[in-house]
Amino acid sequence: MKKRNWKKMTAAAAILAMTAMTLGACGGSSASGVEAIKERGVVKVGVKADVPKFSLQNTATGEYEGFEDDLAYAIAGKILGISMEEAKEQDKVEFQAVNAKTRGPLVENGEVDYVIATFTITPERQETYNFSPAYYTDAVGILVNNDSGIDTIEDLDGKIIGVAQSSTSKEEFENYKEENGLAVEPTFQEFATYPELAQALAAKQIDAFSVDRAILEGYKNDSNKFLDVRYGEQEYGVCSNKENTELAELINSTVQEMLDNGEMTALMEANGLTVE
Amino acid sequence: MLNGLMNGNRWQALFEAIPEYYIPGFLMTLRTAVCGLLLALVLGMIFGMFSTTRSRILKALSRVYVEFFQNTPLALQVVFYYSCLPILLGGTGMRIPKFILGLMGVGIYHGAYIAEVIRTGIEAIPAGQSEAAKSQGFSYLQTMRYIIMPQTIKIIMPPLANQALNLVKNTSVLAMVAGMDLMYFTDSFGSSTGYFAQAYFCSALMYFIICYPLARLARYLEIRSMRQPVAKVKLEKMMGDSINV
Repeated sequence: MKKRNWKKMTAAAAILAMTAMTLGACGGSSASGVEAIKERGVVKVGVKADVPKFSLQNTATGEYEGFEDDLAYAIAGKILGISMEEAKEQDKVEFQAVNAKTRGPLVENGEVDYVIATFTITPERQETYNFSPAYYTDAVGILVNNDSGIDTIEDLDGKIIGVAQSSTSKEEFENYKEENGLAVEPTFQEFATYPELAQALAAKQIDAFSVDRAILEGYKNDSNKFLDVRYGEQEYGVCSNKENTELAELINSTVQEMLDNGEMTALMEANGLTVE
Repeated sequence: MLNGLMNGNRWQALFEAIPEYYIPGFLMTLRTAVCGLLLALVLGMIFGMFSTTRSRILKALSRVYVEFFQNTPLALQVVFYYSCLPILLGGTGMRIPKFILGLMGVGIYHGAYIAEVIRTGIEAIPAGQSEAAKSQGFSYLQTMRYIIMPQTIKIIMPPLANQALNLVKNTSVLAMVAGMDLMYFTDSFGSSTGYFAQAYFCSALMYFIICYPLARLARYLEIRSMRQPVAKVKLEKMMGDSINV
């Protein structure tokens, strides 16, 4: 055989092998039922790394700490048939940091088993993902610079409000405006991460920073303040792959059980969240 | 993921989102790319010529510009223009329009690369050509215009086209600062619906629509410049010009 032909065939074989491997990997991960997780022995969970009290990565130890991380351990314990404390002690959860943009695709392609990341339940998202019953109710907040001269929501007329990509903050603002007949017409700009938003506010490139209060708390400092409004109550749910019905049902029933027997409230209190 | 790709409802949602998301994004990207390319070409020509002159000051100026902008990330430069430049310009709360940000970002960044492309193109022409031109009484600019540049074009066309294509694609850094460009609206649509496969597919197609004709144009210009033995024709024309003067 001529040398050139041989080279071509090797290249073609390599490409074929790579395609097969990629397809194989896709197939494998999407078929991870509860049994598959048990066999693996660890549960993969997507959480945020930058939301104080909810899920914050401890920079000294690398551990994830907060209410959502504890909830992740509780569900993992249920899957593996052990208690939440045991799951925590035995490191049965493999955390992966996610953001508003990555959490959905990670669940969909099976990179993580479920996501607990201040993920608001919406009808639109429920078409794509499975959501557990709500484990926490939050509201939208608005953070402005102290020297901006903005004191009420009406002052935001003609101003720029920064929101996070894939968040519901913009819709909630519009709803609140409509319900209360407010005459404010701000423009909205979307950013990929919260630090970018905080930085844009500090540099005065946006006039207000509006995301869920839980997240906003982490960016409150001496030079900015909250506007005194509470609107757009929204519910956070545990998100998992819609096709993996067995896992979805287990997550749903676990969350419901914890809500009913008061464990959820206890977890919130343990992490310094006010229970309403 | 594969199921999501084949899902008809998601494609339907994409088509409905085209007028609101993709058209304004496409226009912004196109505008930024065209103006950014013009700025980059102007800067590239000026600094490329500077670095081939005998003036040490001009050479040094050109070196500083090229090295600084080639050796820092574009994303950093754009974020700097976005959040630090307004403060340096003195105004608190001053805002630079997103279009200007993008234009400056890619224009200045690729200008540095194009300056290098032009410098190496000029240096590739044997020194004998300039010496011969000088001996015939050509000024520096005349030598450039009639002797060096026509020969340089052939050499620099492929790397120049490369820069132009990269410039178009690099306008996507605007998305980082809510630049209302194609990438910004792609992320916005993708993350609000979760239909990332459709969002990115449509976006890729639109970048391709801008880049492909540009690549063809560059190829055409390259072939054309190879076909014509430019030096002789231009020289005769130039002689005619100088007689008229």
